[in-house]
Amino acid sequence: MYLGCLYVMVALGLTLIYGVLNQINFAHADFVTVGAFAAFFTVTRFATKTLGLPDAGAYLVSLVVALGVGALLGLAINAAVFAPLRERGDELRPLIATIGVSVLLENAQLALFGPIPYQFDSPFARETIRIGRIFFTGQSVLVVAVSAVSIAALYAFMRYTFLGKALRAVAQDRETAGLMGINPGLLIGLTIVIASALAGMAGALLGPVLVLTPFAGASVVVKAFAIVIIGGFGNMQGTIIAGILVGIIEAFTVQYLGSGLIDLVVFVLLLAMLVVRPTGIIAERKEENV
Amino acid sequence: MSRRAIYFALAIAAVGALPWLMTTPYWRGILVICAMNVLLALGLNLVLGYTGQLNLGQSAFFGIGAYVTTILVKTYHWNFWLAALAAVAFAGVIGLALAAFAVRLRGHYLAIASLGFAVITYQILVNWESVTEGVRGIYGIMPPVGSTVGLFYLIAGIAVLVYWLMDNLVRSPVGDTLRAIREDEVSAASLGVRSYVWKAFAFSVGSGVGALAGVFYPGFVGTLVPDAFNIIESFTMMAMVIVGGMGTMIGPVIGAVVLTFLPELLRGFGELRLMIYGLALTLVVLFMPGGIVQLVKRK
Repeated sequence: MYLGCLYVMVALGLTLIYGVLNQINFAHADFVTVGAFAAFFTVTRFATKTLGLPDAGAYLVSLVVALGVGALLGLAINAAVFAPLRERGDELRPLIATIGVSVLLENAQLALFGPIPYQFDSPFARETIRIGRIFFTGQSVLVVAVSAVSIAALYAFMRYTFLGKALRAVAQDRETAGLMGINPGLLIGLTIVIASALAGMAGALLGPVLVLTPFAGASVVVKAFAIVIIGGFGNMQGTIIAGILVGIIEAFTVQYLGSGLIDLVVFVLLLAMLVVRPTGIIAERKEENV
Repeated sequence: MSRRAIYFALAIAAVGALPWLMTTPYWRGILVICAMNVLLALGLNLVLGYTGQLNLGQSAFFGIGAYVTTILVKTYHWNFWLAALAAVAFAGVIGLALAAFAVRLRGHYLAIASLGFAVITYQILVNWESVTEGVRGIYGIMPPVGSTVGLFYLIAGIAVLVYWLMDNLVRSPVGDTLRAIREDEVSAASLGVRSYVWKAFAFSVGSGVGALAGVFYPGFVGTLVPDAFNIIESFTMMAMVIVGGMGTMIGPVIGAVVLTFLPELLRGFGELRLMIYGLALTLVVLFMPGGIVQLVKRK
């Protein structure tokens, strides 16, 4: 169930990029994986040995490192793919280019780290917290706390700050926003960086939960896509609700049908959603010129 | 003879000569894979290149072709060709069904819906163990023709035939219609083109051709496991179409040939096949949007 919160973090990045750029980033999965690996190496190689931090401190530092690595990767993909392709105004090509980047990143990691899963222990996974008759692992509480804070921060940023307002303006109408003295290129870059940083941190939180391989992120992002569709593209509230919904559905699927069927159930739901209500659970009115 | 006829004669001669230029079993095996990839790329190109729809589900149709044929032959003892025909028709119908609601979706939505379809198909192959044997796989599948060379001639022959048929199709008014939809669907519709009919048609034919390639896959490899039809394979097929040059007939063929042989030639560098695909895909989109064909045409 707490996985739902992580899905929301990943899906929010996707939906943010879609909302502002009208683009899908297929490489988002690899930002998650790269974040997870960055956190893993921070904990095992750097923080505990070089800095001599205690386990818990090292893990928290690694979250920040993953955030930073995700942001850097976002900067890179914006500079390399989205920015140069934006002028040509084609909708298919950037999408295809991000698939290329994704395949490239995934296999570069495979070459570097190998296919054998890494054992990523979080110091919080060992502790349990009891509330009434229900037990939680420390990790799941941490996941919920960190994702809730970052989702809330993102939401507040978009809603109440001037930059957030400018971002929404760019999302609505890039040209008009440009005329109002907003620099769309800069804001688009910012969007991608925020989205990627979130994905990186989600990776660091996921690392100890999933088996950490170069393909770990893919399974999460595939679900994030489903969430984005179910919630409605570019719609933040919808995405949050859909993410938690998918987390719950997943928990029930594991309970009653077996874990092998999770992807099947989620994607049947996705296709059903596309048939019945392609605009997502919270429909956003959009004008279509025909 | 027209120039077209000469090109076709040359292509057939080249196909005939290839197995005698590459005589080791290993390279002949690569040739068979190459012929299958050409078929897959041709099928995808009709959808992606000519109609401008991003179908990420081609790996699923490839898998449907392979599994339906094998199960009909092994479990129900059908004749191979009859089973192959049934598999292609089945994939065509599934493609049509997917297209029936996919035509309402555009660009990104279709990309994700077809990706979802690929994920679902893969999961069914893994989980429906009573029929597909799941991850354990099906073993001891016999090819329709005994020798590798024979199999190559068979698949390459079919590829040339499909190429010829599609070439005629895209030169006909149907091709103009598809291109009109790709360039501007709204304008096409205002000229009386029923775009959803033609999009569904292209989708269905594309999936059928993908399944046709799948028909021969299990016999060639001898075993059948779901992993051969993972979503990543959809990406590699797409890479072939894009790298070669989508929206042209010869482009995807070139792309399939280049991307089949290039990783083999670079095998010394380890398991870099997919990295090459990813890199080629990204670089071509960024710097050479018309693909390899564009380079040749410019001269």
